[in-house]
Amino acid sequence: MVKEYKTIKTQVALPYEIAYGATWTRFFEGFKERKIYGTKCPQCARILVPARAFCPRCFVDTEDWVEVSQEGSLVSWNYVNYRYFGMPTEPPYVGGLIRLDGTDVGFLHLIGGFGLSDLEEVKKNVKSGMKVRAVWSDERQGNIMDIRYFEPIK
Amino acid sequence: MGRAVAVVGVGQTRHGRRMDVSYPELVREGVMAVFEDTGLTPDDIDGVVSGTMPSMMEGVALTHFYFADAIQAVGKPVLKTETCGSTGMSIAHTAYYWIASGMADVILAVGHEKMNEGDSQATMTTVAEPFYQRPFISGAPGVFSMQSAIWKDRFGLSDEKVREAAAYISKTHHDSAFDNPYAHIKIRTTIEQIVNARIITYPVRLLDVCPNSDGVCAVIFASEEKARKMGRKVAWVKGIGYRGDEYFFGDSDKAEWVSAIEAAKQAYAQAGIKNPRKELDVAEVYNPFTFQEMMLYECFGFAAPGEAPDLVLKGTFARQGELPCDPSGGVLCTNPIGASGLIRVAEAALQVTGKGGAHQVPGARLALAHAMGGVAQFNGVMILGSEL
Amino acid sequence: MAGRVAIVEVAQISGGDSKDNYYDQAYLVTKEVLAKAGVTKDEVGAVVSSASDIFHGGISCASAYYNEAVVAFLKNSSRQDGESLFALVYGVMRILSGHYDTVLVAGLCKGSENPPNDTCTGMFGDPFYLRPIGMNETVAASYQMRLYMERYGITEEQCAKVAVKNLHNALRNPYAHRKGRYTVDDILNSGRIIDPLTTLQIAPKSEGFVAMLLASEEKAAKLTGKPVWFKGYGSSLDTFHFGDRDLLQGQLKNAAAKAYRMAGLTDPRREIDLAEISEPYAFQELMWYEDLGFCGEGEGGNLIDSGVTRTDGELPVNPSGGVLANNPYVSRGLQRAVEAFLQIRGEAGERQVAKKVKTALVHGTHGFAGQCHAVAILGSQE
Repeated sequence: MVKEYKTIKTQVALPYEIAYGATWTRFFEGFKERKIYGTKCPQCARILVPARAFCPRCFVDTEDWVEVSQEGSLVSWNYVNYRYFGMPTEPPYVGGLIRLDGTDVGFLHLIGGFGLSDLEEVKKNVKSGMKVRAVWSDERQGNIMDIRYFEPIK
Repeated sequence: MGRAVAVVGVGQTRHGRRMDVSYPELVREGVMAVFEDTGLTPDDIDGVVSGTMPSMMEGVALTHFYFADAIQAVGKPVLKTETCGSTGMSIAHTAYYWIASGMADVILAVGHEKMNEGDSQATMTTVAEPFYQRPFISGAPGVFSMQSAIWKDRFGLSDEKVREAAAYISKTHHDSAFDNPYAHIKIRTTIEQIVNARIITYPVRLLDVCPNSDGVCAVIFASEEKARKMGRKVAWVKGIGYRGDEYFFGDSDKAEWVSAIEAAKQAYAQAGIKNPRKELDVAEVYNPFTFQEMMLYECFGFAAPGEAPDLVLKGTFARQGELPCDPSGGVLCTNPIGASGLIRVAEAALQVTGKGGAHQVPGARLALAHAMGGVAQFNGVMILGSEL
Repeated sequence: MAGRVAIVEVAQISGGDSKDNYYDQAYLVTKEVLAKAGVTKDEVGAVVSSASDIFHGGISCASAYYNEAVVAFLKNSSRQDGESLFALVYGVMRILSGHYDTVLVAGLCKGSENPPNDTCTGMFGDPFYLRPIGMNETVAASYQMRLYMERYGITEEQCAKVAVKNLHNALRNPYAHRKGRYTVDDILNSGRIIDPLTTLQIAPKSEGFVAMLLASEEKAAKLTGKPVWFKGYGSSLDTFHFGDRDLLQGQLKNAAAKAYRMAGLTDPRREIDLAEISEPYAFQELMWYEDLGFCGEGEGGNLIDSGVTRTDGELPVNPSGGVLANNPYVSRGLQRAVEAFLQIRGEAGERQVAKKVKTALVHGTHGFAGQCHAVAILGSQE
């Protein structure tokens, strides 16, 4: 027979302060001016977004900064209908993996600009492969939420 | 390659919501089970490997301290291996290398988790860094639903067929869990219920997702000499492979998932496996999500790229099929994460030693065990066989 | 054992706070060790790192974050939690197993991003008993220190001398975080955090990105003319229950005995030329002297008084300044190995000791009052 014994309810919250460092500070400085930057690997020539200090595959420093397009195509998406603790966005919302034009990796963000309450309606607006464009906040803080979402290009 | 190593015994707790025991008591239950299975005592153990998910999962850090007594490690050397979701497999690998190196003869490996004591999906979200990905990661389902969609689109698979095959997997695994005395979720479900279940992160619905489980798995590994002295059927480690790709989700191709493909290749090369679907008798694939499980079949060479849904619907991977996958019900029905990878190893060992009980695959001699982790990033494989 | 394992090269980025990014620092230290060893990324067989989620900037599953930064992209990798000497010995195992001829070992901890160390160490406690009463490593150490002084008549001044020695040694170490010329009085008057411990007797919170390349004997012969050999290892864990333990009879003796046996050492006090040990609290260095067999039980105070463990002594201990000078919690053990490597090779710069170092002892500890200890022996001799 399984008896439920006592439990203790407790919360653990620890303060951390995490350094952006040189590369990511510069990347988000660009956000303040509504610009998205990538870095280019000198060996494989891939353009990486967000910008990286090094190429994960070639293991060499990246030095060249390039401004990349704010438009791209949707590689994959999901429709989130579950409240994840700590997520800044109220469900339901659409997450998107976006290949910005001219870049070589996917960029993770939200898809929006249309009604999100009904999945079938969302499916009419969101298709893998479709073109999307960044929609910026009016007030930009130099962080990832300076882009509100990517909207479909009609 | 090094000395031969065998799994000589396994132990599991009853998995599920275990608010009847404290976390160290749960760990002890798993450890006692493997001592009971093998007849060994803590004095026979040269060292202990343990591991779990990150400290945020249960709010206790560096758990080898808290569980020093429960894992019977007092006065012994420990290693504490953690690689996110693949932790359980990485623990098994650590035990293997420890013995293969000649630095130990008998190692106890313990994977543990008590997910009901924390918020697992909030924890998963903190696997993503806070600069770029955390605001969009939506727990594990967020990432894995996107991965499934990439795979489906890559091979031009229809939503309907993929949905149907995923439902078949969900139904058969949930049925199998009834034959596994340790499984957590034991529900009879129907295809109709599965395809209409509540959406979590589309296309993933409630019955496509693993549960939050409390549970522990303990496995004892031994050198060839020690294993033979025990005079019982043991499972020999035939091959191991592990690979990780990039942290940023968009950096790597997740449809033909290179870390999964390469991890399996490394293990197959050591085990001399050329045609995995034919040569393997059973596989315990780490399958927290039905859709992703199909993709992994392809990465492991069980199916050609894009072919998995058809084979699933033909019953190729069902209990009576050509290559039964997850006869235990898999991670889909039981997921104490830090233990889940090691449970795959334990289940594979049970199968090749004929101790699978009601979910035994008749005559199984060669088995694959797998786990994955990170931001759709890490894959680890171990091949176990009844003959050295 | 099937063969031997050498350390080919080492690199470190450490010291006080840095606003560099973790991911980039992990890359830089890895790049440096590969460049020094003259190996390409493709020549690295496997990667074993160490980091702990609680000391990892609030990012869970540490090795997921830095996987490619430690050159582990599509390599067979693993991670150790808590103690970076675990990663060293696991790297050694991978080579001795015959599966790999090179392994990159890394210890990664960026103190500046974390809460105070004891906010983190408090999380080692159970949620019912130790945590509500405020147990953490410093609290545990204060109990241990008082017991140690009272049982053996060790004085506060003798404990403070450890900090005087180590912080002075650190003046010559560019990688040290805390350093300076202090008197015993300075140490004793540096603020009573938890009596009898004072501020300068407690290790700071530091940065430590540490990397080393291990190689099989055959591979090492191709990579370096000055291999440093892994000779032995021992580790031991104590019971969790604080009140069940004799805080002065811990697991270090057991760990050291295993390491000495494996390395073939029978008279450690004479055979060991130098030790880099982990002393997050000054008095612990004296206790560890005893447990390591550098002196008899209760004689740790006399040993520091004698000057034997000074940089110019017969058995220098912590010429780097030790953990009191630089304390990246998880990577401090591996940092000791890096320092021992440099001393054996005669490449320790201004902190190089006068005597020739053939055999060195490396020690790491973590947990309440030394719940876990790990000891490794390194040497230049075959």
